[in-house]
Formats: sequence, C-alpha cells, structure tokens
Amino acid sequence: MQDFIDNLIRSWGHDPAAWPWTQFLYLAFMGAAAFIVVNFAAISAGIFSWAERRVAARMQSRVGPNRVGPFGFLQWVADAVKLLLKEDLVPAEADAVLFRAAPYFMMVGFACVFVCLPFSHKLIVADLNIGIFYILAVTALIVVGIIMSGWSSNSKWSLFGAIRSAAQIISYEIPAGMALMIPVLLAGTLSTQGIIRAQGGWPWQWFIFDNPAAFAAFFIYFISALAEGNRTPFDLPEAESELVSGYNTEYSGMRFSYFFLVEWGNMWVMSAIATTMFLGGWQLPGLSPARFDALTGGVAVIAEIASLALFAFKTLFFVFVVMWLRWTLPRIRVDQMMNMCWKYLVPASFAGALFVAAWMLLVHEAPWLGQAMRFALTAIAAVTVAAFALRTLKNLRDTGDKFDFTSNW
Amino acid sequence: MNNIHSLRFFWPESVLTVAVLAMLVQDLLVRRSPRRVGLLTIGALFWLALTALATWRTPWGNFPIFGGLLVHDPLRIFFAWLFLAAALLTVVIVPRSKEISSARLGEFFALLFALLLGMYLMASAADLLLIYLSIETVSLVSYVLTGFQRGRRRANEAALKYVIYGGVASGIMLYGISILYGLFGTTRVAGEGGIGAQLADVTSRLFLAHAFGGQPAAQLALVVAVVFLLAGVGYKIAAVPFHMWSPDVYEGAPTPFTAFLSVGPKAAGFAVAIRFFFAAFERQLPGGGYAQVGDLPWPAIIGIISAISMTLGNLTAIVQSNVKRLLAYSSIAHAGYLLMGLAAASTAGVQSILIYLIIYVLMNVGAFLVVIAVSRETGGEDIKDFRGLGTRAPIAALALVIFLFSLTGIPPFAGFIGKYLIFAAVVQRGGFWNVLLAVIGVLNSAISLFYYARLIKAMYLEEAIDQRPFRVPAVYTGVLVALAVPNSFLIFYWTPLVRWAAAAFGGSPSS
Amino acid sequence: MAEAVLFYLFAAGVLAGGSQVVLRRNPIYGAVSLVGCFFFLAGIYVLLSAHLIAILQVLVYAGAVMVLFVFVIMLLNLKEEELGELRFTFWKVVGLVAVLATAAVIAWRALGPAYPSTGPARDNAILLAAEGFGGVKAVGRTLYLAAVLPFELTSLLLLVAIVAAVVVAKGKI
Repeated sequence: MQDFIDNLIRSWGHDPAAWPWTQFLYLAFMGAAAFIVVNFAAISAGIFSWAERRVAARMQSRVGPNRVGPFGFLQWVADAVKLLLKEDLVPAEADAVLFRAAPYFMMVGFACVFVCLPFSHKLIVADLNIGIFYILAVTALIVVGIIMSGWSSNSKWSLFGAIRSAAQIISYEIPAGMALMIPVLLAGTLSTQGIIRAQGGWPWQWFIFDNPAAFAAFFIYFISALAEGNRTPFDLPEAESELVSGYNTEYSGMRFSYFFLVEWGNMWVMSAIATTMFLGGWQLPGLSPARFDALTGGVAVIAEIASLALFAFKTLFFVFVVMWLRWTLPRIRVDQMMNMCWKYLVPASFAGALFVAAWMLLVHEAPWLGQAMRFALTAIAAVTVAAFALRTLKNLRDTGDKFDFTSNW
Repeated sequence: MNNIHSLRFFWPESVLTVAVLAMLVQDLLVRRSPRRVGLLTIGALFWLALTALATWRTPWGNFPIFGGLLVHDPLRIFFAWLFLAAALLTVVIVPRSKEISSARLGEFFALLFALLLGMYLMASAADLLLIYLSIETVSLVSYVLTGFQRGRRRANEAALKYVIYGGVASGIMLYGISILYGLFGTTRVAGEGGIGAQLADVTSRLFLAHAFGGQPAAQLALVVAVVFLLAGVGYKIAAVPFHMWSPDVYEGAPTPFTAFLSVGPKAAGFAVAIRFFFAAFERQLPGGGYAQVGDLPWPAIIGIISAISMTLGNLTAIVQSNVKRLLAYSSIAHAGYLLMGLAAASTAGVQSILIYLIIYVLMNVGAFLVVIAVSRETGGEDIKDFRGLGTRAPIAALALVIFLFSLTGIPPFAGFIGKYLIFAAVVQRGGFWNVLLAVIGVLNSAISLFYYARLIKAMYLEEAIDQRPFRVPAVYTGVLVALAVPNSFLIFYWTPLVRWAAAAFGGSPSS
Repeated sequence: MAEAVLFYLFAAGVLAGGSQVVLRRNPIYGAVSLVGCFFFLAGIYVLLSAHLIAILQVLVYAGAVMVLFVFVIMLLNLKEEELGELRFTFWKVVGLVAVLATAAVIAWRALGPAYPSTGPARDNAILLAAEGFGGVKAVGRTLYLAAVLPFELTSLLLLVAIVAAVVVAKGKI
C-alpha cells in the first residue's frame, strides 16, 4: 500500500521522502483501511445472519424472513437497530468490569484477523511476512474474550459454555495450525499473498490437489475451523438444550450482538483462509502472478475486479457449505469432540506434515510424479463432484421438490 | 566442531535419551508380568551398562563440541563416572525398598535416566543457555521424583516446596544470565569470543572493555550477575541461602531418591560452578595454575557462602531428631566444605573437590542406605528408631558408624582424606581470610562430630523397645559392605584418586 | 522518535500488567493482567524487529498457556473469603523497602553504566540487526543449526514433563 501512496504523492508533483505530509497521508490511509475493514467485517456478518436464516428456511421447507426489503434482505438492518436500542443489562452479581470488557476482546481479536486476509491481487491491508501465523495468533484474543465473558457473568450456564468453548478452541487450534503448515511448507513462505502466488489459477495448480496429504489437510483444517468457530456440529458451547445459550447467556443488547457478529463474521474468515491456503485464492486461470503484476491501465483494473470476484465467489461458496452443514448435521457429544481432535485429527495432521516434507523431496527428484498426482487428484475430485450432483438431481426427480415457490417467497 | 561431527562425543547422552524412551516402553510391555520388578531392574541395569560402555569408549580429548555449546574434556568424563556410580547405587537399592511401588517402578527408572542425562549435560555445558536448560531438566525431574509417593502428605508438601523454591532460584538465575548476555553479547562461557575470552582481552573490541575502562560501576553489574547466577547453582548444591528446601525435600522424598539427590545433583552443581568460574574468570597460565581476570572477587563471594553454609548446616543439625533431616543439614554443611575448595580458586582446590565428591558418594549413599534398611523394619526415620541397632542389625550398625565417622572426617576413614586435601588447598593459597576459612572448617568438623555421635550413641548405648534382630536384604548388606570397605581402607592407598583428579582437572591447557 | 514513544508505552504496559499480577488479590484479574503484560511484551519484541518471537509470544503464552491458567483458576472458583485478607505487616513493609532499594541499586548503579545509551554498545546492537533478522528464516537457521542441541534438549524436557505430570496427577497408572 505504501507504494501506492508514494505514487499518488508523486503524481501530485511532490517527492514522498521530502514532502512534509507524507506521514500524515500514510496515517490517514491506515485509518481509512481500518475503517473499511472493520465495516466490511460487520456488514458481511450482518448479511450472513440473513443468508443463514434464508438457507435454513429453504432446507426445512419453510419461508424465513421475507418482509423487510426485497426477499427480506433488510432484515439484518432491522435486527441491528433493535439490538442497538435494547437495554444493556449487567447482572447484579456479575463482575462488571470484565463483563463489559469481554465483548470488545472478541471484536478486537476478530477484526485484527482482517489485517492479513487478502481480497484480491492488490487488495490487502498489510502483507506481513508472518501472515498466516499472525492470523492464528490474534484469534487467541477471542478465547480470552469468551473466558472472560463466561466467568464474569457469574452464571453456571455461562461458565460451562466458556469452559467448553475454551477447551474446544485450544484443542482444535493444534490440528488447524498443523494443517495450515502444509501449504506453508509447499509455498515456502508464511505470507498470505506469497502462498496464493505459489499456487495457480487452474484447479490442478491449487495446493489442495498437490498431494494426498494436502487434500486431507484441507478437510482437517475445515473441520477444525468449524470447531474453532463454534459451528455445528461443534456448537456445544452454545448448546441450547443444555446450556441455554452458553457464554453469552447473560448478555443483552449491543454487547450480545457483538458475540453473534463475531460468530457470523468468522464464517468469512475461515472460508477466506481455506480459499487462500488451499484453493488458489484470487489467481485467475491462465494469468500468472508475474503477468498480473505487469498489467497496466484498464486491463489491470478489470483483472483486479475479476480476481476480487473469483476470491469472493470461492469464499462465499464455503460460507454456504458451513450453513449447509449446520442445518444437516446433529451436534456431537463433548467426549466425541475431544476424541476426534486428539486421537484422529492431531496425529493425522502431524503425519500429513511429515508426508508432505517427504513428498516434496521426492517431487524434487521426479517432477513428473508431482504433475501426475495433481492431475489424478483433480480428476478424482471432479468425478466425485459430478457424481454427487447427478445423485442429487436424481433424488430431486424421484421425490420432487416439495417447496412452494409461488407464494410468499 | 560442528553438530554432526560432535555426535561422536555425544554417545553417552544419546544412549541415555534412548534409555528414557525404552524404559517407558518396557514399563508398558511388562505391565502384567509377575516378575515385573526384576525385569525392569535388569532393563535399567542394561541401559546403565550401555551408558557406561559409551562413556568408556568416548575418545579422550579437550575441545569444544556442538559449536562451543558443550566442552568435551576429562572433567566431563570424571563427572560422568561419578553420576553413573550414584545412579547404579540407586538402581540397585530401589527394587527392595518399600517406598517405590512396583506399579510405578518403570516411570521411576525412566525419570531417573532423564535426570542422569540432565546431569551429564550440566557437567559439560559451556554455554549459559545450556547450563540453564540442563539445570532445569534436573530440577524438573527432581520435583516429580520427590513427590513420587502421591498419597503421602509429606511427599506432596516437599515436592511443592521444592517447586516453589526452584522456580524462584531459576528465575533469579535467568535474570543473572540475561545481565551477562547484555554485558557480553554472547551466552558462550568458554572458547573464542566467550565471556572468559572477552574478560581476558583488555583490548576487546566489544563494548565491555570500554565500559570497564575505569568504571567500577559496570563491574558492579558483573558482580550482580554472578551472584544471581550463583542462586541457581547454590540451589542445586543446597548452599545457604538457597538451602531452605533441602531438609523438607530430603525428608519427604522416597529415601533411595534422597540418597541420589544428596550426591548426584550436588556434584552436577559443582561441575557447573567449576566450569563457569574457571572458564569465565580465570586465565590458565602457561606454566600451570590460574590467574584471575576481570577483577571479580568471586573467591571471596564463594568463601563467605561456604563459611555460612557449613556453620548453619552443622548448628541446625544438632537439634534434629529425624535422621533424614539430620543428614540433610549435614549435606548442607558438606556443600560448605566443598565450596571451600572452590574458594581456593586453584588447581589443587578443584582437585580436592573432585576427590571429596568421590568419597562423599561412598559415605553419604551408605548412610542413607542404612536409613532405608531401618525404616523398612521400624517404619520410622527418627533417632529413636535407631536404638539398639548395634544388637538388632550388627553389620548395618557397624557400617553406619564407619560412614558417620567418615562424614565427620576422623583420621582412619576416607572422609579425612577429602577434608585434609581441601583444608590443605585453602591454607596453601595463603592469606588471612583463607586461613580463617580453614579454621572455620576445622571447628565445624568438631561440631559435626557431636550430632553424628548422638546417632552412634543411640545405636549402641540405648536399649530398643523391640529387641528382635531384623532382616536386612542381602543386596543391601552387599552394598553396605562394598561401600564401607573403601571408606575404611582408602586411607592406606589413595594415590589413584589423586592421579584421577589430576587427570580430570588442570592437566593440559584447554584449547 | 516514534520508536522511543512506543517503547515507553509498551514498557509502561508491561510494568503495569506485571505489577497487577502480583498485587491483585483475585487470581482471575491477575491472569487477565498477565495476558495484557504478554501483549505489551510482544509489542516490545516487534520494536526489536523480532516479529516471529512477538507472534509466538502471543500465540503460545497469551493464547494457550494463559487460557490453561485461567481454566484452572475458574475451575477452582475461589470465593472471596477463601482469598484471604490483604494485610500490611511490619515485615512486608521491610521486604518491600529492601526489594525497592535493591532494584534501585541494580538499575542505577550497576546496569546504568553497564549499558551506555551512546557509544560502541549501541552501534554494536544496530550492527547485529542484519538483513532478515527476526524473520522465520533467520530464527529457523539459528534454531536448527547453532542451537539444535538446546532445541532437542527442550523437546526431551517437555516429554519428561508430560510423563511427570501424568505420574504426579494420575492416581492409577
């Protein structure tokens, strides 16, 4: 971003090094970037809240919110206004300071992630050289926030929810981190943009299809991210039937909305990380990063927008998958969740990292092997997706869609 | 020497690393075997033998390995044998002791090997980072082995006290290390560019030389750092003022481990102290001997600690009624005697420490072994439990008398050789303060006779309520005899000890 | 200039957090202050251009270790009366004065002259920060070449610590 501002200053006829306002311009741009990012996070979370309810309704053959705005799209705005106007209650026995502070910890931890999340070829707040590691680290604040909220509420439901959540998050951080180390190994860098650049536009150039361990790592990461985001089937911390609402039971009004903002916003974060690390990010098919850099003028703008659209499409697809899973799968038990993490995912992710290291040495000796594996895995995946689609169409044909599209939709 | 080539000199440690894992696996394999204890002991003895073989086959030399992190020299090998002897005695004693249940014997051996590995590294560490890490390895395992008998309140109390004091001591030591790193810009103690080399080189390009240019205040920083570092070492050797843990820990820990704790980590602590002070603050002279560099009054600091340790240890021991606590205070006093040798800051001083440590292993483990034998039968470790031991278990009683006289340093016994050499080294160094230190040492030996004699009096002159003779396991009798014999007859032929110590320290100049 | 301002800011944060850890009677507040302390410490690491260490500090300490701390404290869930009264006794005051005096002597008399703010010491420190200092590659090279032995020893130490924890904590093995 610094280059961009420097060029801007030069175009105004000043020398960026000597011009007295350079630093202030940097600051202003940083402020603007932070503002845009935080608002993007908040607004996307709001829209997802509406989208999830619509998707859920569709899956359960009902209607969902459809009154406010076209297709009920403005429902989330109405909800936000309602939450803003509600009374902000602090329970009498609660630890007021920590109780009030907890939601902010969560918001800060969540918003900080966006610093390193890429959106397109050029669009990223800061391409840190420790990018993905940074993302893993700042998520830690969310755990602190959850624990603070659970303890300070002075309520059994909150405390149990917080303990479950913290145990779940720190357990699943290990397989998630190890699974993300596999693309890092393949790319040789931690920078998010660097990892995307190490991949390519075509599916067989993505890291997910690089080798079997990377393929498995994608799923390990996805499962772990579901658990870290407290999403079904790992929504034990908020299990309504057991814990009322978990760590946020005692919250109301604006502070309550922060918790849900983080939860829905997290869907974008986890999907964007999956896209970045495994699915080629913003890479356009047939346009290598070097040629992308060299583009100028209107073509560059078009390519930029295309890359942004492609990245958003991939990410939103996974957001949809997360919603889809929520309304399909039942919740698992606490012991099953811990077993799955420590007995299966953790060993598998470590074995995967070892396998990839060995595989890279092997491919270094015999490059054709790497190509063959990429094409084979891509083909297998394509066939699986096609078979799934055909099967679904057949099911639809046999039973018929029971949904009534004519009224109320 | 780089990492790969250094592995040739790292066999004992590598074997020990495998041994830790192998003992854990063997523990699982013989889980339900009726001869579990025997099999595990044989396993442990096998790994000890393999370590001994590796130690023996390690090529002789005197050079830094792993890029200067460790030093491979005769001193390291000397301490390795000392540790092996202590570990062997523990492995032999443990199976017949009632304090370690057979279900947890495998873990005990595995942890003991980890402890041994830590001590091996302490004896050869020439880098502050590795010194800290190896001390921490030894400490961590010691905490657990102290609290090994989970059900006993005393064991839990002892382990908790040990952890807390240990945490404070290693925190202080780390602070000292960080100051040293700040002063010198390196964690290497010996070798090229190390702390010793920088202090010896007055024209050193590094800033310390500039800072030292007529500024006593920067030297104060060095004194502070060294005193802080001494906290970690002093804690391992149980010297005043870092001795508070030792009576409780000695009492609460399972006695076989107490025996090991009183000789192994203490010797390892001395290994670190000798290496650190002689590498950093002494310069080896071409004609032999050492000269001080950097104007640091470290012998004075050690001398003061030494005098306080032995006086306080001996005076407090007088009022103890529990034999393990009594021996704990006696071991604090012995740390004081040993520190005298270090305070002499000479080749003779260090050699006398080495000889004393050998003899100390022989006599102290022996004394604790008698305590184990007695508490097996009477279920207690108080002086009153030793009443009438002279008639109830004559061999054990006689052996204990020999060990106690040896600990006092009475002439025909081995302890005398050690004390004589240490006092001689201090007096040889000359000067009022050194002679005063020697006098304090002699006076303390006289005080110690008082409480050792109390135990002897209980054994021979007081009647026990229960007069039945009691059974000492054959293994114990064998070990007791094997330890008592050198304690009694070493006085007639101790040239090998001197030759060995001379070979270990002060031989050829280090490269 | 900006660096100095940030340094004092972070240092003040570290000191404030650290002192709160000791002074707070409620262990939850102590733990939360420690988290804050760790974050400010990470900031100081960033100023020293040790980016990787800074992130590790946040990830490992503030993230994992502190969560476990808080976990234990929450499970114990001490009541007000169990925390005990905070009393100022004579010896505590003596101890406080002694600690402050020692700290002052070390800070001004010993460390002050030993670390001059100008001259060769500073130049040396600046020289040390070579290209790529504090990045993943530099730390990795140091860790796996120069310090591989301490690294391996640490891993063994952690293994032994795990075994030890099981030995101490589990009733029936």
